[in-house]
Amino acid sequence: MIKKKSITIAWLYPDLMNTYGDRGNIICLKKRCEWRKIRCEVKELNVGFDLSELKKADFIFMGGAQDRQQKIVSADLFKKAKELKKLIDAGKPGLYICGAYQLLGEYYKEADGTTIKGLGIVDLYTENPGMNTKRFIGNVAIRSSITEEILIGFENHGGRTYLGKSVNPFGKVIAGYGNNGKDKTEGIIYKNIFGSYLHGPILPKNPQFTDYLIRLSLEEKYGTKFKLEPLNDNIENLARVEIARRLKVKV
Amino acid sequence: MNKLPIVIGKSITFICRSLNLGQGSTWPGHIALLLNPNFIKDTLKKTETKIILVAGTNGKTTTGKLIKSILQESGKRVFLNQSGANLLNGIASAIISASELSGRLKRGYAIFEVDENTLPLILNQITPDYLIALNLFRDQLDRYGEIDKIARTWKKSFDNLTSSSTLVLNADDPLISFLSESTSAKVVFFGLNNDQFVTNDEQNAADSIYCLYCGSKLSYRKIFFSHLGDWSCTNCGHKRPVLNISESGKSFLSGTYNVYNVLASTLLSQVIGIKKTDVEKSIAAFKPAFGRQEIIRKGDKEVQIFLSKNPTSFNESLKTIQQLGGKNLLIVLNDRIPDGKDISWIWDTNIEFLSKGIKNISVSGDRAHEMALRMKYAGLENFLVEPNLEKAIEKTLISATGSLYILPTYSAMLEARKILTGRKIL
Repeated sequence: MIKKKSITIAWLYPDLMNTYGDRGNIICLKKRCEWRKIRCEVKELNVGFDLSELKKADFIFMGGAQDRQQKIVSADLFKKAKELKKLIDAGKPGLYICGAYQLLGEYYKEADGTTIKGLGIVDLYTENPGMNTKRFIGNVAIRSSITEEILIGFENHGGRTYLGKSVNPFGKVIAGYGNNGKDKTEGIIYKNIFGSYLHGPILPKNPQFTDYLIRLSLEEKYGTKFKLEPLNDNIENLARVEIARRLKVKV
Repeated sequence: MNKLPIVIGKSITFICRSLNLGQGSTWPGHIALLLNPNFIKDTLKKTETKIILVAGTNGKTTTGKLIKSILQESGKRVFLNQSGANLLNGIASAIISASELSGRLKRGYAIFEVDENTLPLILNQITPDYLIALNLFRDQLDRYGEIDKIARTWKKSFDNLTSSSTLVLNADDPLISFLSESTSAKVVFFGLNNDQFVTNDEQNAADSIYCLYCGSKLSYRKIFFSHLGDWSCTNCGHKRPVLNISESGKSFLSGTYNVYNVLASTLLSQVIGIKKTDVEKSIAAFKPAFGRQEIIRKGDKEVQIFLSKNPTSFNESLKTIQQLGGKNLLIVLNDRIPDGKDISWIWDTNIEFLSKGIKNISVSGDRAHEMALRMKYAGLENFLVEPNLEKAIEKTLISATGSLYILPTYSAMLEARKILTGRKIL
């Protein structure tokens, strides 16, 4: 008898880093595992969590939040930065959205000029050009090498992120702003982690990417290749195409 | 110098109404403010009219209407800006409409529901006699920004108020009670105590459960919904302020959120000095504002609309419909400017638990497919997806036995109401 496969997701700071519906990503990962009879356990890790929980996880997820919440989180996560870096460098898969993505970098310069140190895990930095510059808000479409289909999401950020040479962007902006509104890059890929500004949330409307992350987690955990059973993604595609059409992007 | 804007404004209202272009609830004020940017300040400064402002993410319209009916019951002359017309132009329009051609304003009380971003602007123009702050929830992050930012700007404005103003605040919302910390205004608090309102459901959409003073997680003796409850910080000792009121007269409005609206109106009436019998009588007879639990008859069926524009109002509406034993539900999701373009909040709703027992479910609106996606991932299977609202209403009504409950976002609510009544409202 084949033993049922399973993955454990560590959800970092769900009650602080969850301002923009990013919880939908967790719901989506869990459902798409369950529909394929893959067991999926979600561990919610809040301020003061035990490091061993992070080590045991097969996938790490962290979402975005408001400035105040983000400060509380940084204070806790700084104590664990070294371990997190070790895990990421060793290939622990993960998805880091918006505020979490910014936090992975070297620093974040606030609108008033104050600089907040980042975790220094990924070679990138973020600067908010000031109170009078516009936030990047709206639907966004990107093309990534990870999926055949175009990815659709919603961005809402004041900070502009610039990538160092050692990291690759997650995708190329087709419509919207992306990392900084200038160089057409969106997000990062570094080892097995993905950083992105795409809310929406990103995963439900982009099932190819969700499945990529599930497969990656299984392969890292079991050390063998996996092929996921296809699902009916009719509604997912309708929701994605609805926005792609509005953005006048070919799908 | 305000006669001219008033005359012009009144003419515009007349033209709008005659040509059936709407009620003229924003244009006259818009023009008046172009002619005189200080129009609101100048007109209200000269009058004896007492000014009541109602602010907060959810419940402004219902609370404004409640106060209006209480004050009218006790014989006061009152005016209120039109529901939803709560930016500066809407407030100016209400003043124009209530003024006489001579420019005089012969009303005892002006009640203005005020948009979250507009509150600091209006407080620069006028000193309110009373200001109600109901709550702060995440809402339209693309338009308003994050709620902490709103709270910070509000606090700055509140700090400039003097003892000639009275703040009526929700003690159960940590963010709102924080606003009272350093103001010179008089402050009174409303909140809940009764255990019948306590919820044990998971609160995914809770926004402010960390202490504003020290950043520790707040403890709650009781949670009523979202981040509203009997809170305290075990680290720095800040806690819910002492309540001036926690019980009120009986109302037909459903939902815990409406209990707060009734409490706020009752406390304000007490501060003003309205007779208790007048307050209770108007609360008992109160009819909901349009789109807020309003009942519309369609043929032999009843349709009730619950405006649901953010995760908290969506969850609380759905909970109320469940308590009413609802069987037919239509969710309408639009992403136009008045709704907020970012609809990711639907993933923070608790539709998984709250739709149990509801058999006949449809989704509609500009983002019908996104709502359908949310339903699919909530584990729901049999529901109708019909982006065209007129068809969606028709189809859902045909298969409905009993009342149909509609949960629309703001622009969807106006549209649904227009379809059901054939009348234009704004």
